[in-house]
Amino acid sequence: MSARQADLKSALLAEVAKCRACRFCVDVCPTYQVSAGVEALSSYGRIQIIKHLLMGVLELDEGLTYALYTCLQCRRCENVCKSKGQNIEICEVIHNARAFLAPNYQKGGGRDS
Amino acid sequence: MRINSKGLAKDLGRIVGQEYVFNDAPTNLVYAKDVMPYDLEEHNLPYAVVRPGDSGQVAEVLRYANQREIPVHTHGSGTSLVGLARPKARGIVLDTARFQDIAIYPERGYFEAGAGVHLAKLRKALAPYRALLPVFPGSEPVATIGGAIAVNTSAHAVDSALGKPGDYVLGLEVVLPSGEVIETGTHSLRRPAGVELTKFMVGSEGVFGIITRVRMRLAPLPATTNIVATFSKTEDILAVVMEMYRRGISPPMFFEYLDESSARIGYSAVGLPEPAGAVAIITMHSDNSVGCRDKSERFLEFLKEADPIDAKILGPGLEWDQIWGSRAEAGNYVYRQGSTFGSEVTPRVDKLLDAFIDTKDFILNLESYAGPQFISFGHIGAPTLHGYAFIPTKDIPSQVKKAITLEVRQKSENINIKYGGCGGEWGLTAQRIDFLKARYQPAYYQLLLNLKKALDPTNILNRGNLEGWL
Repeated sequence: MSARQADLKSALLAEVAKCRACRFCVDVCPTYQVSAGVEALSSYGRIQIIKHLLMGVLELDEGLTYALYTCLQCRRCENVCKSKGQNIEICEVIHNARAFLAPNYQKGGGRDS
Repeated sequence: MRINSKGLAKDLGRIVGQEYVFNDAPTNLVYAKDVMPYDLEEHNLPYAVVRPGDSGQVAEVLRYANQREIPVHTHGSGTSLVGLARPKARGIVLDTARFQDIAIYPERGYFEAGAGVHLAKLRKALAPYRALLPVFPGSEPVATIGGAIAVNTSAHAVDSALGKPGDYVLGLEVVLPSGEVIETGTHSLRRPAGVELTKFMVGSEGVFGIITRVRMRLAPLPATTNIVATFSKTEDILAVVMEMYRRGISPPMFFEYLDESSARIGYSAVGLPEPAGAVAIITMHSDNSVGCRDKSERFLEFLKEADPIDAKILGPGLEWDQIWGSRAEAGNYVYRQGSTFGSEVTPRVDKLLDAFIDTKDFILNLESYAGPQFISFGHIGAPTLHGYAFIPTKDIPSQVKKAITLEVRQKSENINIKYGGCGGEWGLTAQRIDFLKARYQPAYYQLLLNLKKALDPTNILNRGNLEGWL
């Protein structure tokens, strides 16, 4: 891992550590809404996925790739997160996580991994 | 026992439809994660998440799981602060999110709601009927009525003013671990006397059955008036609460407090100037506005006897919204600045001050982490005080976080034992088996296990919560 990547990983871990798992951002996420309510396809879900990918608990697969890439970057979740005090730059975290994890991306998508 | 995840998902799909079954890694992970500050372990991760659409499907899932002895963990919104939402054994997570129906019957005097209805949505639906929803957790926008009744949480409400949510429940639809669907209670406003299973299921935290539908009486929304008072120190507010009960003064429906530190953080969060000390935030209630105003003025006079820095009645409006918001957001903004580890202490009311001193003492002298700060707030009129260990960093190893969590839990439970309390808000069973063993006679805990065995002989429902697993 390059020094730049190591810095990015540290920054991402510091940002996702702010998530309290309060789940207030779940309902406002449009992809959660259109998926008939799958928490993995909400901002909370993506933050947890990124955290556990970086920690090595999860390995990137098609399902995780799908979850990360379906974020619309609409920032509705950030308004909720700000109002609940944590103020995580959720969309930036997801964007940077995509960049960090890009070399490992799986082809395709879908959740039937 | 090894479970074939794909086979399990396929079988569950035959019951609820494949579109309502998930066995992918991200979904399993996010349903297992909760507010607990320490990391998930493999045994917390489910094999599949299932979202049944009616009680018949829940029953079929439970029959299926029972035959194969697969644990089933019920999921409302996963907002429990004390580990109730985290599966303790690998199995199926059963999400109640599709139980979304609300039926309001003013002519019958009650309403019914599916277990997955969010409290905020339900309160909004009840508003045109001027009906009270007597559940007030901070997680109201996302917490479910099924979860609230399964825990029987009071949250902000003062029990001796409003009662517990369970006091308003007329009946339930419950799916037993065997797969039988039962109805409890009554359609009458006359609640059953004698042996009746509603009371048994309310607050049972999902270990005896899965609540799928709740029937509650339409209680009239009271008129309210608000009071805010600033005291030079937290102990003065505790003394007011003790004196309120000693004199037999009618308690407010909400009586919150912020200690000196959390008041500064909470006020700053909502754009208010720094308060001069600890803050009491009170909502008086009565049948009508005239009675409420009179009650509030008398309560204000009572407060002034304790020599506050400032005390005043506030009508609805921006200032009250900000002050209530400061209480609601204090915990969130404290967490923003580091890591917090909370306790729920509910002492005998004449021991409130002693319990506060003991709580502060143990938090400032933790063995698992040196030098935490002490911050407290809570529903002091209830009385509940939340003493928090605050550590101004998030960079703490998971195992240390776990040790701090468990130490705070054990020592706060010791205070509850010392001063005769038993919690009243957080649904602590998953983390308090030692408390149950120490607080009551050995027969008490054994009776709980026997009841569990009688209703759930294969121990599929929320397995581990009665055993004290993490």
